[in-house]
Amino acid sequence: MQKFAHKRPAMTTTGAGGRLSYFLARVIANMRQNPFVNLVTIGTITLALLIVSLFLLVFVNLENAAESWSEKVQVTIYFDRELTQQQQTDLKNRIVAIPETSRVNWVGREEALKRFKGRLRGQETLLDGIRAEILPASFEITLKKKSRSSEAVDAYVTRLRSISGMGEIQYGEEWVRRFNTFLAFMRVVGALLGGFLVLAVVFIVANTIRLTIYARRDELEVMSLVGATRLFIKMPFLLEGLIQGLAGGLLSLLLLFATYELFLHNSGNFLTFNPAAAGLAFLPFEYCAALLVSGVVLGVLGSLTALRRFMSDSSG
Amino acid sequence: MIQFHNVSLAYQKDATALENISFKVAKGEFVFLTGPSGAGKTTLLKLVYGALCPSRGQVLVNGQNISRLSAAEIPFLRRNVGVVFQDFKLLQHRTVFENVAITLEVAGCSTVDIGKRVIHILRQMGMESKINLTPPRLSGGEQQRVALARALVNEPRILLADEPTGNLDEANKTQILNIFKEANVKGTTVIVATHDRRLIEQTHQRIITLRSGNLFETGEAGHAEVCP
Repeated sequence: MQKFAHKRPAMTTTGAGGRLSYFLARVIANMRQNPFVNLVTIGTITLALLIVSLFLLVFVNLENAAESWSEKVQVTIYFDRELTQQQQTDLKNRIVAIPETSRVNWVGREEALKRFKGRLRGQETLLDGIRAEILPASFEITLKKKSRSSEAVDAYVTRLRSISGMGEIQYGEEWVRRFNTFLAFMRVVGALLGGFLVLAVVFIVANTIRLTIYARRDELEVMSLVGATRLFIKMPFLLEGLIQGLAGGLLSLLLLFATYELFLHNSGNFLTFNPAAAGLAFLPFEYCAALLVSGVVLGVLGSLTALRRFMSDSSG
Repeated sequence: MIQFHNVSLAYQKDATALENISFKVAKGEFVFLTGPSGAGKTTLLKLVYGALCPSRGQVLVNGQNISRLSAAEIPFLRRNVGVVFQDFKLLQHRTVFENVAITLEVAGCSTVDIGKRVIHILRQMGMESKINLTPPRLSGGEQQRVALARALVNEPRILLADEPTGNLDEANKTQILNIFKEANVKGTTVIVATHDRRLIEQTHQRIITLRSGNLFETGEAGHAEVCP
């Protein structure tokens, strides 16, 4: 007895192109038929990715700030006595002679007071009656780039201490180290929070998509009963998830950029410094691309998990 | 075409739906499957189109053992078995045309081919003027004809119908019965599950009777004889 054909009948335009155009037409028809459900899904993905991307934006900028601050390690030598011109020149020459030195700058007491006043702009009256003599003069030393690790700075400071007539040496190593410890802590907390956030987002998106598929479970059942393969049934839903994810990803990036620009333009109202000049930057290209890909993955995975459940329900 | 060998099916441990059933339906035969509600008619049909697997025994459809078909093979079986469901199972938000076309779409037919064949079958059913309407705007009889068109559009080798005349008036019943007969004349094996005695008496076809999951068979309407 001849068995039923296990291959799709050889009919015209059954190639991959024809299939894809059929699926896309189906997706567009479905999205038109259920605009509200689709908008809710895209909105959910957008908001979920926006939360994750905001978190990323803050984190990336904190990392950048830490990196640039650690690069500015400066060694300062304070003198509680006034140095003569000759003493200044002698000491400066000996400091410059150390190969790791990049730049040496003398800050006299008058200059120190000027800087202090600069920092207290608007409240200069607080410094009324204060004379330059109470502030120490100092040498500010910038190190060469390759000598900015904490070990290199330690070695450099040891060499400085061996020079006679040296004042009190201070360097930012301590707070940079503390900041790096804080950042390492932040990374752990960030990874944990980010992980929970991603899990919550996957859960919410998968459930939202599950609702949209639940609303169309009769379609899954009928397609299965008239002989559609599992891939044929799944494909329009997966494509729909992909489109929703991509749209959600794009929208979240647009919203993030708008929020970022809004912050930059209005930061003058509540910040005393210009965040753009301080190095605040938008997410790098790779992060933006990763967000878009995440949107697509979310949409497709959400559809896939929801389909897995309903397909098993409707296969019988 | 269809063979049941000592088939039993239990949904749960002590809830047997079918008990040791054996029968054959030859190619091109027209068979009524009858019995009271809950006798197991729908379950038996489900076994034929691979929605259920028997707990014991074998179901052969065109020589293929249903229990041995993989999940990937079931769709290809179903493309050769048209089914008309008791509740029609029409997609409410799709038009008559789209509801019928779905059978050909899943089989990979071209748009042009689908158009021709769907319009042809709908014309045969007297539904060509309603191709753009959705099921909620159709009467019960019209919905039944759309469901029939969907089942027959790809010219299946087997046609199964579960209580196809349940809520129809006499005129519609006769029309639906004539469509079954036409399909049968063209070579399709037809099994109609019904408890409508008048429908069965209008024809002189073979009857398979189920009672509480057990099988009784008669030759033709009115000549009952219990199977061993």
